[in-house]
Amino acid sequence: MNPYIPVKARVVSVRTETTDVKTFRFKLIEGRLKFEAGQFVEVSVFGVGEAPISISSDPDIDDYFELSVRRVGNVTGSLFKLNEGAIVGIRGPYGRGWPIRESEGMDVLVVGGGCGAAPLRPAILKLLRNRNRYGRLEILYGARTPYDIMYRGEFEKVAEGNDCRVLLTVDTIPPNSEWRYSVGVVTRLFDKISVDPRRSVAFICGPEVMMMYAVRDLIRLGFKPENIYLSMERRMRCGLGFCGHCQIGRKYVCLDGPVFSYSEIAPMPDKIV
Amino acid sequence: MDAFIADLDDLGKLIKIGRCKYNVYAPIRKGGSYVFSKVEDIHNIDLRYNRTILPPTKLFHRPRETLLRFKLNDGFEFDEVLEVESMMIFGVHACDLNAILRLDRFFTRRFEDPYYLARRRNSVVVALNCNGPRDEYCFCASLGTGPTIDEGYDILLTEVEGGRFLVEVGSKIGFDLISEAGFMRASSNYIEAKRTMASTARRGFRRYADFRGLSYPVIEVLAHSVWDEEAGRCLSCGNCSLVCPTCYCYEISDVVDMDLKNGFRVRRLDSCQLYGYAEVALGGNFRRSRKARLRHWMVCKFGGAAGGELSSCVGCGRCIFYCPAKIDITSISSRLREAV
Repeated sequence: MNPYIPVKARVVSVRTETTDVKTFRFKLIEGRLKFEAGQFVEVSVFGVGEAPISISSDPDIDDYFELSVRRVGNVTGSLFKLNEGAIVGIRGPYGRGWPIRESEGMDVLVVGGGCGAAPLRPAILKLLRNRNRYGRLEILYGARTPYDIMYRGEFEKVAEGNDCRVLLTVDTIPPNSEWRYSVGVVTRLFDKISVDPRRSVAFICGPEVMMMYAVRDLIRLGFKPENIYLSMERRMRCGLGFCGHCQIGRKYVCLDGPVFSYSEIAPMPDKIV
Repeated sequence: MDAFIADLDDLGKLIKIGRCKYNVYAPIRKGGSYVFSKVEDIHNIDLRYNRTILPPTKLFHRPRETLLRFKLNDGFEFDEVLEVESMMIFGVHACDLNAILRLDRFFTRRFEDPYYLARRRNSVVVALNCNGPRDEYCFCASLGTGPTIDEGYDILLTEVEGGRFLVEVGSKIGFDLISEAGFMRASSNYIEAKRTMASTARRGFRRYADFRGLSYPVIEVLAHSVWDEEAGRCLSCGNCSLVCPTCYCYEISDVVDMDLKNGFRVRRLDSCQLYGYAEVALGGNFRRSRKARLRHWMVCKFGGAAGGELSSCVGCGRCIFYCPAKIDITSISSRLREAV
């Protein structure tokens, strides 16, 4: 088995999430993709290249999988042009996901920023499905503007139930637009949380600067470093622990992560958090 | 232990036998340096070589290679491209053989790299013990990666007298080759001579390195002022990682033919010393400074990066010799050792 050879997947639907994020639903041409919340795949657009993308759909559904892609480079730019029926190459899933099982019995605080919502979505879906196994569940999510909030309809629907608190915020509200939630960086929402820091885990994903502030504030609130989990962004070229690009100190993000506890990643150099 | 004795003519015979089944690579003088290159004329082989420019690991882990081929028609098709080559690599020093053994383990961890293995598993290594440092750049003795080696070879040569080699066998393939060559069994005094040589070969090294305490990212190492000083001289040329026998990092990219219908996915050696190495989306870069890049590389060679011991230094001396700024891992590590 050559791990560099992708399998083919077909785009079955495309949803526009924000101005620069689309969610693609794929089906493998042969077989099914079994994955855990927080894992990623390598997506090939042949002739352009390969990029690591987090899986953003429900891990209990293996009939299809979804990737929420932000248009930032060559591969994601080409993905953006794909319509229903288009074929891409997929390798994976790779990496270690969120500690969903290990967190049973705890309160869970989910903190997302921007397209960091993508790898958190499968975790949220999983937590909601097994809601009675967890204590309090709170989701804090922030984006630049109301137009950059991903999965907004889903977040609002979750917020309507009694299972989970959802707090949304944006950095700025452009003129002539409506926004009924908070304004300010996502860490400002920490004043409003009701989870018990001593018996809580935090799942965080967003720009690394945001994660740095989030970790600092959560530790100040009494969260234990080993209970704060972060999904790290690096350029995982191979996903196999060979190419070297995703190294953070002694860790390979593709093998040891992308989800790390803060206590694992804290001593490592060349990062912001 | 099977041990034989051979002179240079006998080794020539071994190479001839090897050439029936393998492409034989050996150290050959080119310009002022040596390279492992395919042997056309055995008289060009120089077993007194100091070191080759590129290490033999790069014969298995190619600086550039095609991973797969694709067609960009409706939907696209793709095929694996696996360049198998059976090689006899002749005259590999202990440091370089240790590097090969590390990459063997590295490329078979969680996943297996079929490209590396397609060549490695079809090749034989004829190692060559050194009787001391080959020049002032060698420091394998202090790292325990040379100048002699006891494992991992198919055939091991030790020059016990001028032009006369003790030939030890380390594998079935090695044994078959030697049997075919019909070498004489070595008498016990040759075996004794090799033991004496191996025990004295460690003397005479003038360059030392000690990486103990430097392989974990401790603040004393990471925050040391030596990085600022050395990074001021570093040109970020990437020479050190290009010539390093345990550097394996690579970049993958797609190359499309002029007809825009066919293409290849290739990988090329990359270097953590180059700016783009730690780049992420939207121009983010976690090692923007030369200092961070130099430190990453060197700590990697101390065994403190994600490859751990498997990407660590074997003391071949190449990075020091080929560094245009004369940045020296042995002097940096000794300064760091004072701090830990």
